Amino acid sequence: MMWIDSGTMPLLTLSVFFLLLSPATSTSAPGRPRVTSCRSPEKETFTCWWEPGDDGGLPTTYALYYCLEGSETVYECPDYKTAGKNSCFFSKNDTSLWINYNISVVATNAEGKSVSEPVEVDVVYIVQPKTPESVMVSVLEDDHGPYLRVSWDKPRSADTRSGWITLVYQLRVKQVKEENWEEYDAGMQKYYNVFSLHSGKEYMVQVRCKPDHGFWSEWTTPAYIQMPDFIPRERSMWIMVAVFSAFILLIFAWTMNVKRSSVKHYLLPPIPGPKIRGFDQQLLKSGKSEEVFNALVIQGFPPTTNYEDLLVEYLEVYDDVKQELVLNGKNLPEGLLKSKTMSSDNDSGRGSCDSRTLLMEKCAEGVEESGMEQELSQFGESSWASSDSGEDRENPASPRQEDRKVQTWPPVFSSPQPHHFQQQQPGGTRASYHSVPEISCRSPPGHSSGGQQNRFSKPGFYQYTQMHSMDSIEHKHVAQVPQSQSAEYVEVQTVDPENILLLRPLANAEGHDPELSDFAGEDYSKVRDVTSDNILLLQRDLSGPQYVRDYCQDQSGQVDPCFMQLQQVEQTCKPTNVHLHLPSLMLQDGMRLAGNGYVDSTIMMS
Amino acid sequence: FSLAACSVLWVSLLLMICAHGYPECQTISLADLFNRVIQHSARLHRLSSDLYSEFEQYLIPSKNEIGTRKCHTSYIVTPNGKEHAQKLAGEELTEVILKLLMAWGEPLAQFHQSMTQQQDYNIYSSNKAMEMSDMVHELKNGVQKVAEKMQLLGILSTFLNGEDTLHSLESESSSVFSVDHLNFLHCFRRDSDKIWSYLKILKCRILPESGC
Repeated sequence: MMWIDSGTMPLLTLSVFFLLLSPATSTSAPGRPRVTSCRSPEKETFTCWWEPGDDGGLPTTYALYYCLEGSETVYECPDYKTAGKNSCFFSKNDTSLWINYNISVVATNAEGKSVSEPVEVDVVYIVQPKTPESVMVSVLEDDHGPYLRVSWDKPRSADTRSGWITLVYQLRVKQVKEENWEEYDAGMQKYYNVFSLHSGKEYMVQVRCKPDHGFWSEWTTPAYIQMPDFIPRERSMWIMVAVFSAFILLIFAWTMNVKRSSVKHYLLPPIPGPKIRGFDQQLLKSGKSEEVFNALVIQGFPPTTNYEDLLVEYLEVYDDVKQELVLNGKNLPEGLLKSKTMSSDNDSGRGSCDSRTLLMEKCAEGVEESGMEQELSQFGESSWASSDSGEDRENPASPRQEDRKVQTWPPVFSSPQPHHFQQQQPGGTRASYHSVPEISCRSPPGHSSGGQQNRFSKPGFYQYTQMHSMDSIEHKHVAQVPQSQSAEYVEVQTVDPENILLLRPLANAEGHDPELSDFAGEDYSKVRDVTSDNILLLQRDLSGPQYVRDYCQDQSGQVDPCFMQLQQVEQTCKPTNVHLHLPSLMLQDGMRLAGNGYVDSTIMMS
Repeated sequence: FSLAACSVLWVSLLLMICAHGYPECQTISLADLFNRVIQHSARLHRLSSDLYSEFEQYLIPSKNEIGTRKCHTSYIVTPNGKEHAQKLAGEELTEVILKLLMAWGEPLAQFHQSMTQQQDYNIYSSNKAMEMSDMVHELKNGVQKVAEKMQLLGILSTFLNGEDTLHSLESESSSVFSVDHLNFLHCFRRDSDKIWSYLKILKCRILPESGC
């Protein structure tokens, strides 16, 4: 009993052990297998794979059966081995195109069998070629920089030479460290150029192919390539352009900086500030208005005393050439006289020489430019006989003067309008004048008797006198600006011993002697005539006859000095009265009314 | 012999005239003709595939019809493998192609008509059907031109069996058109692929350097 006990004990435990361990195994028929895929690599053979189902605990065998379309004959797979486990390989002889294969797999074990779902296959539509072969990548150079050239070969099994199968290729490129692929379609060709890759980076390339209608092959194993370091042409060019333009800008800025002031002057031209003569800004700032206004009053204005400093105009009268007094038989065009319309007495709009005040300053400096001549000769072409006026002036010959528009009038007489003259004489009755009305801006020789202020006011109607050629500065010549009805008055400053009346324009009577003040404004008579006795015929002003009377009566004292002057100066001066023609204008023959009552004595004289 | 001499004379005359660049006889090379024809047939096949896929969505083939599927061109003996196709002579291959094209001309026109009549299909499908019908005609003409050219160049020795037989084939097939559109399209898709493949084989056999 002891033997039995020792023997059965392990047996018992073992059996118990086995009983416990092994579940209740019930074998069954295998589960349904499944045909996973069928593929043809070259459209001549194909392979089908299946997936076994549950084997039911028993060793199971699998068999593949197929039948062709339109036939009931069932065939079994000819080759289970070539393609590996759970596969069936159809060789060329077994493969027919354009025919549907009905394929199914049967799993069999001891318990039973099961059949998979049937699958219809037409070989033409299950072509999936092998991967392309011999992928080669190289770096090439061209004008724009390096690029990649990828080349490959068709898969060996595909027969493209006979035209049986046509393949299209595709490649993809990416940087090794990046994630996104860049795909390119290469069509049927077996090479491809990839451009626009980054310098210095490492790239990987893969290729695959596809038949006309079918599946894409697998990607080839990656080919690695390193791009060389280079600077793209465009970028280098832009860098050069940027550097160059920066350089230019630098130089430009530097020159601007150096020429700062002139640039500023050019861009923002200084606006001349308001300039009032005598106006002292400092004084204004200091705040004393009285002083400021007092400063505005120019003591020496109008100039009263220093006649020498002023522009002097003198009238020269000749005995012998009386007939040539005005112009030798030549008629000055009336327009000459007429056209001079004296405009208002202000300085606006005229050049420096137009301004009376400034003019005087200028002319006091003894300016005797030829410019004056130029201005004078604007009266048209003329052979100015004495144009030279003897002081080495240039001959204001006609060539110079044709189109000259005199902006600046001869200094003494301000505000004649040369334009008018020009306009009114477009065609120009270009008379040849023998005499040039000329103004000489000269300071009078020291004849002025400083004491006596002999005034002979002459309204602004001037006679033409002949300008005889002078050859020295002593000669005084008179030029008179043909001036029409201008209201510019002149007063006689002195009478020279050489029978020259030194005239000067009469300025405002401000600050003058009281007796002078009466002469301001319209209290002047105009010289109507100069008689053969060297007598000035004064013309009564139309506008103000009473003034004339006053003049005659009240200021007879004034008149007398005139005569006295004349008598003193001129031997031939007859102490006759100045003929005052009180009544209104007695127009004689040959006299012409011009403008506002002034007489064109030139015509009369001739 | 006289026929050959005549054809040679004709070819030489043609070449002489056309060598001077007269615009009337601008000859297209055989390679270009082949390429055109092959592209044409490729497009035809693509059209048929698209149309078949569209129909597959609409119509689920009944189980009964799967087994009984039969194409009306099945009487035409066609090579079903590469070797078989390569064994055929050029003339035979051309003949097969033309036979197929002939057989499909009329049924496609009828198919298009029935499509427009039924009005179940959208306009794109109808247009595709019409285009297919036209293309078959053009392709047939093209292949005939290619055949003529090949004969002119002496590649094909004998002219095809007269048009009469082909026309008779055509008339036979016209009555076979079935109402089953899906099957119809399935058959046509297959046949268009056959045409395409045969043309490619023909081209690469006759002109091996032109991109084969």
